[in-house]
Amino acid sequence: MLARHYIGESWKHGLLIIGALIVLIPFYMMVSMSLKSQQEIQSISGGLVGAQEIQTFPVCTKHGYTEEVCTMRPYKYNFWFAFKKAPIPRYLMNGLIVTVSIFLIQVLIALPCSYALAKLRFKGREFVFSMVLFCLLIPVHAIALPLYVMLAKAGLVDTYAALIIPWTISVFGIFLMRQFFMTVPDELIDAARMDGMGEYSIVWKVMLPVAIPALLAFAIFSVVAHWNDYFWPRIVITGNRDLFTPPLGIREFRGGIDSDEFGPMMASIVTVTVPLIVAFIIAQKRFVEGITMTGMK
Amino acid sequence: MHYSRAHIWFVWPAIILMIVILILPIFLAGGISFTNYNLGNSSFEWVGMENYEKMFSRKTYTKMIIATATYVLIVVPASVIIGLAAAVMLNSLRFGADIYKTIFFLPVMATLLAMAIAWEFTLHPTLGIINSFLADGCGGIREFILGFHWLPWVGAEDSWYSVACANNMDFPYWLKDKKTAIWTICFIGIWQAFGFNMVLYLAGLTSIPRELYHAAEMDGAHSTWEQFKLVTWPMLGPTTLFVVTITTIRSFQVFDTIEILTKGGPSKTTYVMMYAIFEKAIMQNITSIGAAITVVFIVFIILLTFFQRYVIEKRVHY
Repeated sequence: MLARHYIGESWKHGLLIIGALIVLIPFYMMVSMSLKSQQEIQSISGGLVGAQEIQTFPVCTKHGYTEEVCTMRPYKYNFWFAFKKAPIPRYLMNGLIVTVSIFLIQVLIALPCSYALAKLRFKGREFVFSMVLFCLLIPVHAIALPLYVMLAKAGLVDTYAALIIPWTISVFGIFLMRQFFMTVPDELIDAARMDGMGEYSIVWKVMLPVAIPALLAFAIFSVVAHWNDYFWPRIVITGNRDLFTPPLGIREFRGGIDSDEFGPMMASIVTVTVPLIVAFIIAQKRFVEGITMTGMK
Repeated sequence: MHYSRAHIWFVWPAIILMIVILILPIFLAGGISFTNYNLGNSSFEWVGMENYEKMFSRKTYTKMIIATATYVLIVVPASVIIGLAAAVMLNSLRFGADIYKTIFFLPVMATLLAMAIAWEFTLHPTLGIINSFLADGCGGIREFILGFHWLPWVGAEDSWYSVACANNMDFPYWLKDKKTAIWTICFIGIWQAFGFNMVLYLAGLTSIPRELYHAAEMDGAHSTWEQFKLVTWPMLGPTTLFVVTITTIRSFQVFDTIEILTKGGPSKTTYVMMYAIFEKAIMQNITSIGAAITVVFIVFIILLTFFQRYVIEKRVHY
C-alpha cells in the first residue's frame, strides 16, 4: 500500500519536473545570455554562465571608449554596457511613476464610489451599480483605438497623461471594494457618525483602514498589470524616449536578431524583469492572491 | 442606510469617467467605422457599410479571423486543461507543491514582452537551445521519444525527427515557417496562461468539502479517476466557467508576442485581431478600418461574456 503510494507520488514529480523545466527554458536562456559573451552565445557553448574570460569588447571600443575601459568579464560588460546604451533608470522611473499614479487615482475614484454603493442610500444607486457591471465587460485594450483618437484630438499623445488617463477608472476596483464594504458592519459607520464624523472623514479615516487587505491585493493586481503592459504605451508614446516605460525600453533595445550584441540587450531585459520577479518570490502569497482575486465573486 | 448629499461627490467622478473613458469610445468607434475618417484628415465622408464589406470580403480579414479563432480555440482549452491537471496533481502532493506553484506562476508575472524576446532566441534556428538540443539528439533517445518512434505506426526512418536529422539538421524554423508559426505562438500563449488557471483551480479545490470524497467512496467510486468525475469536476464547475471566460477574453487580446515575434506573418498566418487593429489604424493610419475591426472585436467580447453570465451560469451552479 505504502509502496504504491510512493510510486504514484514519484510519477507526479516526474511529470511536474518536466513541466517545470519547460516553463523555465526562456528564463534560463534570458539569464544565460545576459551573462555570456557574444561568441559563446553564437556558438551555444559555455552552459549557464560561460567561461567569463576577461576580454576586450570590440563594440565597446567602436563606441569611443578606451581599450582599458572595455576590458572586463562578460557578465560585467553586458550590464555595464546596457546601462551605457540606454537610460534604463529613466525607464524604470517612468514605470514607477505611471504605475503608482494609476493606482493612486484608481483608489481616489473607486473608494468613495464603492462606499456610496455599499453603504449609502440614494436615488439611482441600482442604476449606477448596473452601469459598473456593464463596464466590467469592456476591456480597455479593445477600445484602445477610439481612446487614442480622443487623446490625439486633445493633443495628449506623448505625455504621461496619455499613459495614465485610460486607466484612472477601474470598474473592477469599484466592484471589488463594494463587495468588500458590504461585509463591513453598519454599526462601525453609525458609531463614527455618532462621533460627529462627516461622510468624507468616514471614507478616508474609517473605511480606508478597514479596506487595507483588499486594497493591497488590488494594488498588486494593478501594478503588475500596468508595469507589464506593452500595448497601450506602444500606441500613445510615439517617439519621446523620455516617456518610455520599461517594456518600451526593452522594445527599443532589442535590435532583434540583427542587433550587434545580444549580451547587453538581454542584460537590459533582465534588469527590467527582475524587480517584479524578486518582489513576487518574496511576497508570493500576496501576489497570487492579488493577481487571481478577479476570481472572487 | 443613511441619507446624505455626500454621495453626489462620491459617485459622480466615477460615473463621468466611466462614460468618457469606457462607454463613449464604443460609440466613437461605431461612428468612425461608418466613415472614411483618418486621424490627421480634417474632413471625412459617411461611407455606410463599406468598411465592413471590405472586412468580410477581403482575404486579409478572413485570415485575421482564422488566426484569431485558431489561437483562441487552441490556447483556451489547452491552458485550462493543463492548469487543471497541474492543480489536481499539486493538490495531492505530499511535498514540493509550493516550488512547482512558484515556477508555474512565473510566466504570469514576468513582463510578457521580455519573455517573448527570450522565446525568440530560445527558438532561433541557429542560436536557440531548442534546435541545438534536437540536433544533439539525432540517433539517440531524444529522437526515439520526440520522433514518436515508440508509436507502432511511426517508422524509425520517416518520422519528422529522423527526416530532419537526415537532411543536415533541418529542424523547424518555428516562428519563420508558415506551417509552424501559429502553433508556436499558441504554445507560448499556453506557456504564459496555464499558471494563472492553475492557481484559480487550486483555490477552487480547497473549497471542496472532504466529506464528498468519503461519500463518493461509499457509493463505490474507488479509483481516483471515478472520484474526479463524480466529485471534483462537477464541484469545480463555477471555477471552470470563470477560468474559461477570462482566458478567452485574454486570448482574444493577444498582441505582445505577435508584434515581437511574427508581425502577423508569415503570410498572415498569425494576423490576430489586436495586431490587425494596431497595424491598420496606428502603423498605416487607416483609422476607419481599425474602428470597424474594433467594433467587431467588442461585439465578440460582449456577446461572449453575456453568454457566460446568463446562459451557462444557470447550468453550472449546483
